[in-house]
Amino acid sequence: MKKLDSFLLDAVLGLVFLLVNIVSIYLLLRGHNLPGGGFIGGLMTGMSFILLGLVRGWKDLQTEIPVEPLRTATIGVTIALFSGLLPVFRGDPFLTQYNFHATEVPLIGELHIGTPLLFDIGVFLLVCGMTVKLIIVLARSTSGLPPFSKEETHLYASVLEDPIEDAVKGKETPHAD
Amino acid sequence: MPDIENSTPILFAALLGVILLPLFVAPLALALGSRLGRRTGYVAMAAPLLALGLISWIACKWPDGGQRIVSVPWVPSLGVNLSFIIDGLSLFYGFVISGIGVLVCWYAAQYFEDRQKSLGWFFACLLAFMTSMLGAVFSNNLVLLFAFWELTGIASFLLIGFSHSDEKARLGARRALLVTVATGLCLLAGLIMLGLLGQTYEINVLLERAGALSQAGGPLLTAAGVLILIGAFGKSAQFPFQFWLPGAMAAPTPVSAYLHSATMVKLGVFLTARMFPIFGTLEFWMPMVAGVGLFTMLLGAFLALRANDLKAILAYSTVSQLGFLIGFYGLGSAQGVRFDFVHVISHVFYKGSLFMIAGIIDHSTGIRDVRKLGGLGKLMPLTAGAALIATAALAGVPLTTGFISKEIMLAEVGKLADAQPIGWVFFGMVALSAIFTVAFASRLFLGVFTGKKPTDLHFHAPGLVLQLPPILLAAAALVFGIFPGALGNVLDRLSVSGLHAPAEGYLALWHGFNRELLASTIILIAGTLLYLWAKKTAWRWAVTPRWLQFDQAFDRGVDGLGGFSKKLTLALKADWPPAYLPIVIFFLLVIVFGAVIANAGSLKDISTLELKFDPLRTFVAALITLGLGAVLLLRRWTSQLVALSISGFFLTFYFVLYHAPDLAMTQILVESASVVMILVLVSRFSSASRAGTRFEFTFTWPQIVRAVLALGMGLLGTGLVLFAELNKHPDPVGPRMRELSKPLAEGTNAVNTILVDFRAFDTMGEITVLLIAALAGIGLMMRYKRSSGGKDAMSAPGFLLGGKNKKP
Repeated sequence: MKKLDSFLLDAVLGLVFLLVNIVSIYLLLRGHNLPGGGFIGGLMTGMSFILLGLVRGWKDLQTEIPVEPLRTATIGVTIALFSGLLPVFRGDPFLTQYNFHATEVPLIGELHIGTPLLFDIGVFLLVCGMTVKLIIVLARSTSGLPPFSKEETHLYASVLEDPIEDAVKGKETPHAD
Repeated sequence: MPDIENSTPILFAALLGVILLPLFVAPLALALGSRLGRRTGYVAMAAPLLALGLISWIACKWPDGGQRIVSVPWVPSLGVNLSFIIDGLSLFYGFVISGIGVLVCWYAAQYFEDRQKSLGWFFACLLAFMTSMLGAVFSNNLVLLFAFWELTGIASFLLIGFSHSDEKARLGARRALLVTVATGLCLLAGLIMLGLLGQTYEINVLLERAGALSQAGGPLLTAAGVLILIGAFGKSAQFPFQFWLPGAMAAPTPVSAYLHSATMVKLGVFLTARMFPIFGTLEFWMPMVAGVGLFTMLLGAFLALRANDLKAILAYSTVSQLGFLIGFYGLGSAQGVRFDFVHVISHVFYKGSLFMIAGIIDHSTGIRDVRKLGGLGKLMPLTAGAALIATAALAGVPLTTGFISKEIMLAEVGKLADAQPIGWVFFGMVALSAIFTVAFASRLFLGVFTGKKPTDLHFHAPGLVLQLPPILLAAAALVFGIFPGALGNVLDRLSVSGLHAPAEGYLALWHGFNRELLASTIILIAGTLLYLWAKKTAWRWAVTPRWLQFDQAFDRGVDGLGGFSKKLTLALKADWPPAYLPIVIFFLLVIVFGAVIANAGSLKDISTLELKFDPLRTFVAALITLGLGAVLLLRRWTSQLVALSISGFFLTFYFVLYHAPDLAMTQILVESASVVMILVLVSRFSSASRAGTRFEFTFTWPQIVRAVLALGMGLLGTGLVLFAELNKHPDPVGPRMRELSKPLAEGTNAVNTILVDFRAFDTMGEITVLLIAALAGIGLMMRYKRSSGGKDAMSAPGFLLGGKNKKP
């Protein structure tokens, strides 16, 4: 898929990206009490990256994202698991949730926060990372680019295997990036 | 309930420190790895060093021959406790693991070259491995023991596959993991059976009840024992699992030295010793343990004789020695064994040393083939000296610990032979493998360190610091070989009741002229003669026969499994939904409608349903139907997909009408993400291929069948909705969740509290599945094809095979 050549879209993109992510983090934080939560927030952030990819092109998106999405997803699961294992060390059952209440917090006032939020952050990171990774691979793969950068190919692909393009043409095609 | 006797917090803290210290240092090693390079090893060394100190402190506090349990409940509902046992056995292995751990870290810090990458990762894995080993030997709970047992498997997988760009390393790591994990499953089954029989998972309680348990006997106990032994045999590379150990030699040498001399493979020996008081008197024990162990000893020695690679010789000899160690437990009388620690510690001394020496030779010449080496003695006299002692200990030459160990073994087998005729078979096996061992041990030393140096051999001298660890180990083998009494005194203090026979006799170099001495002399002479004959024939026959290696058969089995599942997938046409969906739907309809007809009497009459007309909902339903109708009428499949998404978006209104904002938001976001994905995919197809045909009903049989099935599914959906409306559950879960949301989960959004609190375990599973699905999806989209041709067992089913599938 080629990138969209629209000046307007390109110009407002940064603002839209910022706004969407503010909303998504807001949804994440309020999730326990009002509609929202990690899944919705994560999907929203994922969508904002998809938008970025559609406008700026998928090839650049991969290099622009500071962290590897798959790693984000893994970290997400780890955080969720950690929040579940935390009570085990205190002798409570797996996934017991703790809540803390503070009545006088500067600037905020009342604050109710608990380990469910940690769990939700894990879900957020997983959903976001997974969406971004899948869409990048899919988009690159369908637009004729190699699905992975060179380092990733080294990580994921077996040495017994070649990209299908290479196997068909019988010659090395230079990797992008 | 476990006895919590003598449980002091300080002791518990110290023991936790021993086990967790390496794990805590691991992230540090990982972080410093890129900056310090190989010198990270010195940082890593701190962990086993501290652990060694702590174990010594614990040992000082510990009454001789006693047993202390420290325990905190972990999952009390399942009888799983974080409980640790301090007795002679665990302390002995604790000393070995941390002591050799220090030397291995030291050695590795010198062994690696500066350009070697990701050493931080290496040391982190090594430390994680150390933690799991220490945890396994100190565990007093069968479940905890199993958890640590499996962790060693995973850590060793990472260590063996450290140089993962090398195909051999990956294969070796995969084999080791598959074998140890598969046998680990047997172990789990055996441990659970044992726990149920003994009504506890606490090892100390089980050991107390050992007498009653083995007297009661029964097939279940035998089955548990056999399963546990299979687990131990898998870990300790006993026949028929011995093939993974030589394959694991692809690991860097420090790993081999650690895993195969002191730790991982010793875990099976440890477990055999741990279980000895419970199963030792049962009938199956002696033939199975001694038979398998001593047969493996012979097989390993035979294979070591026919190998040429330095590390392969050592690997097969490790297999052989492990057979010796495990077989020894099968020979003992019901009162227990004695001096078993001597074998273990002696093996640790010389095998650890030999592996490190092999690494030094590889390091300084780049060659590991014995045939291409020679004359290194003059170039590195220190290493040669250490190698002399270590190979002498391997061969069982007097003045080394190896001699003491072999004497004990021969005495024990001789005793058995006096009592039972089968003992002579065992005696023959031990003697024969000892002869082989003498021959290849001579070859190891004489072939590498004496003779002429091949002219094309490049040599650069190894540093002194690198040579020190093997020299220390060899020196220990020599010192304790000359003064075995000192070793005996220390090891006697570590004796465990139930496992060890009451002390009689003592370790000494000279026991007078007896049968063992005669046998030893004959073995040494015969071994030397065998070596001389082999040298005369220039070891031309020294090729490992493929059929004895088992690894190819194993790989074929693994490939066969892949091939089978691929065939099955193809047979089920998993990549072509129109082939399997009708079958699935047909059975779904038969089952559900069958259930409805069978229970027709108890269902409420449909006429009692109150029908209410809601204009908004009807409007939304009409919109959704419009989208679905468009799918049927539109010509191009791309437009059909878009129409389908549109009805998906309309569905959102339904959620809004039912006051479910969370669901509405999720629905919108999921729909938009999938629309983008679909559009990205669509752009890949040429415009010609995007043109489709208009759907026409032609009254052919397949179409009629599908139409009936489709109508049936529609009926089923409608029916289920009406059924749910008519037959409401007397105590629906929804309102309760909403009520309890605030008091129990302290949140007012019931949807979210269900997801992250009430049903968090489900969510946990779901996000894990999501991650796995993402990885699988990436694998599918990689568009990689196996280039080697031939068998394609591992490639994706369906679309890569082309031609075999029906075109839509």
